[in-house]
Amino acid sequence: MPVDIGVYEKKVVQWKLNLSQIGLDVVRTDRSLVFYENQANQAKLWDVLAVYAWIDKDIGYVQGMTDICSPIIILLENEADAFWCFERAMRRLRENFKSSANSIGVQSQLRSLAQIVTIVDPKLHRHLEELDGGEYLFALRMLMVLFRRELSFVDALYLWEVMWAMEYNPNIYSLYDKTLEQLPDKLNDTQLKQYGKFERRIVRTGATKQHDALAIFLVASVLETKKKQLMKEAKGLDDVVQILSAITGNLDAKKALNEALKVHKKYMSKVKKT
Amino acid sequence: MGAYRADDDYDYLFKVVLIGDSGVGKSNLLSRFSRNEFSLESKSTIGVEFATRSIHVEDKVVKAQIWDTAGQERYRAITSAYYRGAVGALLVYDVTRHVTFENVERWLKELRDHTDSNIVIMLVGNKADLRHLRAVSTEDAKAFAEKESTFFMETSALESMNVENAFTEVLTQIYRVVSKKALEAGDDPAALPKGQTINVGSKDDVSAVKKVGCCSS
Repeated sequence: MPVDIGVYEKKVVQWKLNLSQIGLDVVRTDRSLVFYENQANQAKLWDVLAVYAWIDKDIGYVQGMTDICSPIIILLENEADAFWCFERAMRRLRENFKSSANSIGVQSQLRSLAQIVTIVDPKLHRHLEELDGGEYLFALRMLMVLFRRELSFVDALYLWEVMWAMEYNPNIYSLYDKTLEQLPDKLNDTQLKQYGKFERRIVRTGATKQHDALAIFLVASVLETKKKQLMKEAKGLDDVVQILSAITGNLDAKKALNEALKVHKKYMSKVKKT
Repeated sequence: MGAYRADDDYDYLFKVVLIGDSGVGKSNLLSRFSRNEFSLESKSTIGVEFATRSIHVEDKVVKAQIWDTAGQERYRAITSAYYRGAVGALLVYDVTRHVTFENVERWLKELRDHTDSNIVIMLVGNKADLRHLRAVSTEDAKAFAEKESTFFMETSALESMNVENAFTEVLTQIYRVVSKKALEAGDDPAALPKGQTINVGSKDDVSAVKKVGCCSS
């Protein structure tokens, strides 16, 4: 089969550009960890990101992906296993990293966040809007690298584990692969029990199509817990950022996620009413 | 609220952005200026981060609100949103990587497309401590800054060289534009609303401030 050389060469050039960025970022990823003092481990991180950048040409490499990939490299000794694990994680997260000249994917999650806060706590939303924070860009990093910069390494991992368990869907593969059979519309209780807490609620209400990630509700719940301070003390966007940065080392993942579920419940019931 | 923020007392609040290619040292310049810290373990910036510090300019307290942006092109859509309202910018390149200097032109265009024409810009050649690795000469950068009417300095966030000077110079120049403008308008500069980002005024002010500043020896 003839190959279009022009397209192929363009892909190679794009990839090489990504490689230089990956190189810049790999050396500054979690380098306080002993694990990454070993060059061979840094190389693994580089390999996985480089191969991913090649196969996912819409995304390539975007800063922040090292933060997602790094724990996986540590946990899975085998490089190929680590790659596929990362590839699966990216299926959940890749939309956030998709960028064009005018936007970056995570903005869609930020819009959802704005909508959620507007409905759950209009007062807080108005206040943030007045501070020129209506776009919630201050929450971008939390959503993009799933609290890795706010929490310690182990705390973030714990959070991911609980969060993904709550989002667990036993049919996750058929959701990814459209060639597989469609799911039955009605599920019995035994089937429902296999779902994660968060996902189960979504499946029950039938809102399965395009629903918001639990992470968005988690950010909303963090804002809620800091509400008093935000309303009283934040007189500028800089104060908002400062107040939110105080969660470092203080976020109990399990508690925070249960709060997030509450926010979700409130949101669902208010949406239903309107 | 009393105890909450001691540095709340300021006469002017200036928004300054830090831009430039990935890995040139923007975040460390900021941490050196705002907290006098330098970290060899610093991470890439995701989206936008920020810090503040107040300094004295003449008899006034100027609070700088400095926004540090991700260098990767992919974040451009987000970072340019943060240019809004900026009255100063430090455009950083790495003196050991020529490509980061070549890209300065693109950054400059981007900056000028998104900000007021009177924005005070300083070209900053960082990592000047790495003398044996230098790839951009001081003369070339100086000539470029002259051509583009920006200020220019070489810095080392690691050795804490010229970092204070670079930020202070930018803030002082902004202050001059603002107070000059206020004078011309017959206003008392102190009467300007507190906590508001100050617009640095009309095109006529440009010639007065845009001369090349000092640089490292």
